[in-house]
Amino acid sequence: MNERESLFRRLSAACGSHGAAVEEPFPVGASMAVESDRVSLFAKMFTAAGGFLLRGTVETALSDLGEMLRAEGVTALFFPEDDAAAREIAEALVPFGPFNLTTGAEVRGGSAEVTAGFRAAESAIAETGTIVETSAGGKTLLPGLIADVHVSIVQAASVVARMEEALEVFTADPPRNISFLSGPSKTADIEQTLTVGAHGPKKAIALLLG
Amino acid sequence: MELNANAFGRNARKALLDKTLQEALGRTTVRFQVHRDAAAAAFPEFEATRERASRIKRDALDHLDTYLARFIEEAEKRGAIVHVARNAGQAREIAARIARDEGVALAVKSKSMASEEISFNEALQGAGITVVESDLGEFIIQLAGEAPSHIIAPAVHKTRQEISLLFERHLGEPRTDSIPELVGMARRHLRAKFLSAGMGVSGGNFLVADTGSVVLVTNEGNGRMGTVLPRVHLAVVGIEKVIPRMSDLPAFLRLLPRSASGQTISSYVSIVTGTRRAGDPEGPERMHILLLDCGRSAILEGKYREILKCVRCAACLNVCPVYQSVGGHAYGWVYSGPIGAVLTPLLVGLPEAFALPDASTLCGACADVCPVKIPLPDFLLELRSDAREQGLKTPGEIAAMKGYAGVMKRAGLLEAIERIAGVLGQFFTKGKGIGGLPYPFSGWTERRDFPAPAAQPFRKQWKIKRGARG
Amino acid sequence: MPYTTGMDPKGPIPVSLFFTCLADAFSPGVCSATVEVLERFGATVRVPLSQTCCGQPAFNSGNRKEARAMARKFLLSFPDDGYIVTPSGSCAAMVKHGYPVLFRDEPRMLARARAVGERIYELSQFLVDVLGVTDPKSDFSGKVTYHDSCHLRRGLGVVSAPRKLLRAVPGVEFVEMEESDRCCGFGGVFSIKYPQISCKMTERKVERILATGASYVTSGDLGCLLNIGGLISRIGYPVKAIHLAEILAGKTAGRGDAG
Repeated sequence: MNERESLFRRLSAACGSHGAAVEEPFPVGASMAVESDRVSLFAKMFTAAGGFLLRGTVETALSDLGEMLRAEGVTALFFPEDDAAAREIAEALVPFGPFNLTTGAEVRGGSAEVTAGFRAAESAIAETGTIVETSAGGKTLLPGLIADVHVSIVQAASVVARMEEALEVFTADPPRNISFLSGPSKTADIEQTLTVGAHGPKKAIALLLG
Repeated sequence: MELNANAFGRNARKALLDKTLQEALGRTTVRFQVHRDAAAAAFPEFEATRERASRIKRDALDHLDTYLARFIEEAEKRGAIVHVARNAGQAREIAARIARDEGVALAVKSKSMASEEISFNEALQGAGITVVESDLGEFIIQLAGEAPSHIIAPAVHKTRQEISLLFERHLGEPRTDSIPELVGMARRHLRAKFLSAGMGVSGGNFLVADTGSVVLVTNEGNGRMGTVLPRVHLAVVGIEKVIPRMSDLPAFLRLLPRSASGQTISSYVSIVTGTRRAGDPEGPERMHILLLDCGRSAILEGKYREILKCVRCAACLNVCPVYQSVGGHAYGWVYSGPIGAVLTPLLVGLPEAFALPDASTLCGACADVCPVKIPLPDFLLELRSDAREQGLKTPGEIAAMKGYAGVMKRAGLLEAIERIAGVLGQFFTKGKGIGGLPYPFSGWTERRDFPAPAAQPFRKQWKIKRGARG
Repeated sequence: MPYTTGMDPKGPIPVSLFFTCLADAFSPGVCSATVEVLERFGATVRVPLSQTCCGQPAFNSGNRKEARAMARKFLLSFPDDGYIVTPSGSCAAMVKHGYPVLFRDEPRMLARARAVGERIYELSQFLVDVLGVTDPKSDFSGKVTYHDSCHLRRGLGVVSAPRKLLRAVPGVEFVEMEESDRCCGFGGVFSIKYPQISCKMTERKVERILATGASYVTSGDLGCLLNIGGLISRIGYPVKAIHLAEILAGKTAGRGDAG
């Protein structure tokens, strides 16, 4: 008998017969976010999680965004090659620079530049102010992972009220990686002092469009 | 991790005299507690979610055989390789073998209490593999050669000056008093490790049965980095972490951060399922999941099943006045506070840790905050009773209890003793408190007076005033 | 839902006093104060003289064999009907929650334990929830702060009753301390096994008490008060530990022997 069989023998003995497992998930409580205000709730919660929110159109947001990136000392803008929304914004930002454009390879190697990573969010969750990114369809997670500043492009129509709705689409066959990103990378491990940029982005910016 | 639980009393006395630790404890536990209470109060569904999460966990444990089988099946279907270890020794062997077979020279690890149970780092280092802790707190104490003192804030006992000294010595960084600078140093150092490591090691906050997913919750982003960048991902997880469905996950994601640190959500939640898919630009080519029994199936079988509901939020530590007084190291193993006082004896055996269940006033603050409603005080009482049954109590205590129960059997005898004590007490103390008692009560009177027995107990007074009719 | 005796609500209210072994031996004044208050509000108080200890110290230290013997004795000492009232949240919680554990394998005793558990009340809980007392009619005066005993608050869920009563005493200036629900460090056998930790907790409690500037600290459990009072008397702080029953009874001679 191998270890696995032996484990299951022990577990079955321990569990005995406790009746059938609960088939349906236990009921979810009343909705925390009313449908009509999910976008403003997202904005509020994203900010509460330490993120910076820019709302409007690409054109109106560019100068604020450029200013924010310069303030962080950003020198390179990094976007996935196959992400049209990210590319559009990164390219439009160049005049607000000086910024170099890059699609990745050298960033992964640990470049000396201060980078801002751009990526279109798959969806966003109002109750927690969360950006949802996944590897579905071969998408990369690097912009929100290794860049110093992360800029998410969020379509207002993609904002869902609760986590359940964001996960629903993946329950049948989840991609390798589903990431919930809520604000910048944080740590309070030294003297309980909240500090950003432990491993991930020091600044999380959401560009909320539509 | 080396086991030293029965030295709790000695460890605790040492901790009480450690000024730095005392300051850190005061700061940390109060802050966590205040934030947790505020988060719970700001979330109207907190109680309902607690109830729901508690029932989901209970169901998951009652049918752990079914759900774990489902988890393994789904994970393997998506390319993960699942290993099972009965005990720490086996787990160490398997982990070392995986690392060797995968040709790993450097592994980066994110926080995992389960890996502490099996002394994971030592196992890999013994096989010639370097393991770097990537959680900032864990990284600091790894440099210091110490053990974590708090489940979610492992380096809570270190000051910035001590940390800067460690970074100077081990990383060659200049001295600084700036916390952001210290964080930046660790970031740079660890980023290089993430980019060059062959294997990322993680724990797992939840295992989702219906999808075979491993869920990681972090604030720093190290769990995420270690499961995206390196070629191999190894998750070391206890079998009790299974939840039935992906749709059950939100309830836990709402409770865990609120209970742990008062956050609405942690910065990063990663749900990782199997290996990288065709067309994925990154992600591990190989995923190993090492499932630990290490005493859990035995717990599942007995009266302590519900302790396995624990989600390791550490809310019970933060509210515990004993933990607040002595910190985590005093508990002498991986888990501290009320959860440690119950879980440690159950995992390592009561003879090795019977001092821990006594390390509580049974005040019940832990049960009030537990997000999955574990009856911690009831379990502490139950373990104390087990200690008696297993012959782990001192003959002195048993004799004292027998004598005490013998006296209490007869009100007349009690009254007679009270009368003698009353006379002696009044004579020696002249009605004031007693300043010094012999062992085993000497500890009480070291810094506190003990009351003198009344000259005339109430029973006697009542008889005199109202007669013996009762 | 309070237990009902099935008797005429306007008739005498039968109460058996569970005076507790601790108060009997160390603070008999607490017991007589309890009787005084109960009688003030129409209770006919009986004192079963064969009662001793509920067995909590044995139960809490894991010595269940001895605890069971004491619990049996307790259950036999009290009559089958009427209320049982005690000036201790901890002892009431023991009977209510501890006894069913002790007798979980003895159906007959378990039923009896449960029935007795239904009838047992801590003093302030009884006054407010059963008798509906809003004015305790006490002439006590002084600045008072209140310590929540863990077992009264968490074991019995009694939080507001003692506060309501204290606020209703005209001469009492009631002031909340910070962390009033934080354990004082007594914990019965805990204070003997780990006295240094216990003391550390008591010191923090006393700090909070002193910060209120109160002249009295009160509570619904004598154990806490002996512990807190023991530290106060050792240092000589200008505050007195006094049982809630004594405040409710009023300012008469011989009060305040709890600490």
